[in-house]
Amino acid sequence: MNPTRAALPQWLADHAPAAPLAPAALQQVAREQIHAWGLPSVRDEEWRWTNLRALNQPAPLTSAAPAVSPLMALLPDALFIRFIGGKLSELPEHCPPGLHISRLSDAAPDARQAAFAPVAANANDALLALNTAHADDGLLIEIAPHTELSAPILIDWQDEAAAYAATRVLVRVGAHSRATVIETAQAADTAALWRNSVMVIEQAENSAFTHIGLGLDGAARRLTDRQFVRLPRDARFTSINLQFGGQLVRREIEVDIRDTGAHCNLFGLMMPRGKQVLDTHTRLTHGAAHTTSDERYQIIADDSARGIFKGRILVAQDAQKIQAYQNSRNLLLSPTAEIDTKPELEIYADDVKCSHGATIGRLNPEALYYLTSRGIPTARARALLIQGFAQEILDLLPLPALAEWLAERITQTLSQEIPAQEVPVQKVAGQEVPAQETPQ
Amino acid sequence: MTDRTASPTISDSQEIEHLVQREYKYGFTTDIEQEIIPPGLNEAVIRLISAKKNEPEFLLEWRLKAYRHWLTMTPPTWAHVHYPPIDYQALSYFAAPKSRENAPKSLDEVDPKLLETYAKLGIPLHERAALAGVAVDAVFDSVSVTTTFREKLAEAGVIFCSFSEAVHSHPEIIRQYLGTVVPASDNYYAALNSAVFSDGSFVFIPKGVRCPMELSTYFRINARNTGQFERTLIIAEEGAHVSYLEGCTAPQRDENQLHAAVVELITLDDATIKYSTVQNWYPGDEEGKGGIYNFVTKRGDARGARSKITWTQVEAGSAITWKYPSCILRGDDSVGEFYSVAVSNNYQQVDSGTKMIHLGKRTRSTIVSKSISAGRSQNSYRGLVHIAKSADDARNFTQCDALLIGDRNGAHTFPYIEAKNPSAQIEHEATTSKISDDQIFYLQSRGISEENATNMIVNGFCKDVFNELPMEFAVEAQALLAVSLEGSVG
Repeated sequence: MNPTRAALPQWLADHAPAAPLAPAALQQVAREQIHAWGLPSVRDEEWRWTNLRALNQPAPLTSAAPAVSPLMALLPDALFIRFIGGKLSELPEHCPPGLHISRLSDAAPDARQAAFAPVAANANDALLALNTAHADDGLLIEIAPHTELSAPILIDWQDEAAAYAATRVLVRVGAHSRATVIETAQAADTAALWRNSVMVIEQAENSAFTHIGLGLDGAARRLTDRQFVRLPRDARFTSINLQFGGQLVRREIEVDIRDTGAHCNLFGLMMPRGKQVLDTHTRLTHGAAHTTSDERYQIIADDSARGIFKGRILVAQDAQKIQAYQNSRNLLLSPTAEIDTKPELEIYADDVKCSHGATIGRLNPEALYYLTSRGIPTARARALLIQGFAQEILDLLPLPALAEWLAERITQTLSQEIPAQEVPVQKVAGQEVPAQETPQ
Repeated sequence: MTDRTASPTISDSQEIEHLVQREYKYGFTTDIEQEIIPPGLNEAVIRLISAKKNEPEFLLEWRLKAYRHWLTMTPPTWAHVHYPPIDYQALSYFAAPKSRENAPKSLDEVDPKLLETYAKLGIPLHERAALAGVAVDAVFDSVSVTTTFREKLAEAGVIFCSFSEAVHSHPEIIRQYLGTVVPASDNYYAALNSAVFSDGSFVFIPKGVRCPMELSTYFRINARNTGQFERTLIIAEEGAHVSYLEGCTAPQRDENQLHAAVVELITLDDATIKYSTVQNWYPGDEEGKGGIYNFVTKRGDARGARSKITWTQVEAGSAITWKYPSCILRGDDSVGEFYSVAVSNNYQQVDSGTKMIHLGKRTRSTIVSKSISAGRSQNSYRGLVHIAKSADDARNFTQCDALLIGDRNGAHTFPYIEAKNPSAQIEHEATTSKISDDQIFYLQSRGISEENATNMIVNGFCKDVFNELPMEFAVEAQALLAVSLEGSVG
């Protein structure tokens, strides 16, 4: 039944973490699993669009100096945590009451057990097993009940100064608490670190937690990341996944809605360019009645890049009165780019309202015509439309300063494509302004 | 919620079906002597099948090649269906002609309940006898009808015969086209079919000919006993047009549990093939025991420019359906269409959908899939829309709607969408819902019974697909839906 699988690359088989974080028994099982499974291949259903061939060789080491995170200036009151090359290097000096942040290796055994609770089931989960086997640094973020954190927690991943890292983060959000965690990943364009991370989020009832994943610069960095979220009664979880950089980024977000009244938002924007492969898989399980979810993912693929989205919504038996909405809208801008999308519904209850939609298309020619007929050069008109499309997701960010900064970044990237002679034409009301047409 | 599986009507009619079908044997029309090959599959068996059918050397070679490839393959496991592993060595690969001794002599001997079902479906009287397994020529002379049809078709230049016949009469066409759409190595079941296929239909519509009749009526009377490994090949030359209907709305019983058919369609420039299927194989009893496994590979190759392939299917039977009628849109401006209604009740499992592979410029495809799950069934749509780099200005529209009746079943959607050309426009939408209480209440308040109200709503739900069926079958399909869902509401 099991076709012969490629062996685990030698460099990974030889890799021995200095101080494994996982409980010994779990780590042993995971080690056996990865040796049996190797890395996932395109023959594994969950990986049919994402080739991990690049990971067969270890990345070359780079020693660029870590940059200063641009978000520090943007969000001055954020609680700042920094990892360099997958190693924790900085923790906030002062935590507000109710918040406890520590190295995962210093955490109590039960927290470590909880951090490693998700177990790999089959070869599709090989990277989870790999993380369990190799994780040697991580973080515990604990938010006490009835705590409302006004400032976001910012985890700054400087993916430099190493070839490979495996990290594990556990976030515990107490009952009736509210918090936001922002993870940013960035590196110099030459740094090719592969970070394989896992984050486990345990929310208590009536808590609200927002996770913002920001993939910034780093043309060569590789990230495989998996997130597990469990939602009890009346809990709310929002994930905003914004990916702009990286050579290969694969995120998997799994949300398990366990009790009534819970709600989940999954929003994402991926803008692969060059030869990037940006991939997100989401799995959302409605395991209880009277729960709702809203999922919106958009991909804008240019050059020879590849954007991949797979979203599964599963409604369990007897989970009645569910409302689930899933939308995948995609812009394909170049003849050599590719977008693959698979919005799945798996429904075992009957009194549900579930719908999904998916579109792949180009920029609306009518909208382009409208803009050019008003004197806006074609390239700029295109940029405006792309910007507007991306803005739909950025507008969902709860931090206006961050949304503005990202919009500005996108504008800059897009305007680099506008030829220099195309100076934006001043528009005078009621007056015909000749457009400077440029061939596309 | 009441337990909807314990529906008296369904179980009764199936039990009766059992009784009837114990005596129900097909009349065989081939003249092969009765012979039983022991179960098992090896090269000797394939040589024997080929020899029995007196096939030319190239076909035997083709079968053996397929068999050797099949040995290296493993059954697919990705579908959303569950069944115990099949022991392929326990099957008999040569359908021995079945005895007609026990067949009912006339309609009077057939169970009245079965006849009632036929009446509900609106099946013409003379066909009822054939379907009930009455020794046909005793009540109805099919031969004369066959001859009339044949003359009419021959006049138009259409070749329509059984596959085995075509192998002898038109080996050059078979050789040219066989396996060019579904290669022998395509998938596990296609490879198995290629190695051991029993028989099937062959249709050839020459250049510029519009087939003078729906190839359905003819087929329904004649194509019994094509066996469990059916192989169909339809070729429409430049500008040709044909509409073909496979299967039957009437409940049919077959001794063979595994059906692995292959259908290949080929359209050249400006040609059109409209392939409609109504499938109502035995779905197993209400406990989910027995029932046919329907593992079919159907694919159309729109080779010519401006050609068109339309698949329309109404899937009501089989314990497990694994079927993805596909279109390879190779020719520029070619069109692929897929319209499907899949109904599942009791413990039926359906994993069906389509593949639209856009290769040519300005190719268009439309997918409309409606699934209705009742009882404890699982009903999945699995579809692929692939836009290749070469397919400039390709367009796809997909709509998948699922209707759930009862709370112990499942409706799933697995659409794969792949775009490699920026001028492509792809839209996919899917909804899952149940029949709303408001709708039922509205109709009931106007004096319509709950069952009839449900039927009306379900028929409205499926209308887009029924509109694509040949007229007489659309009427039957509506009735079939009502019969299939009988007792699942209320």
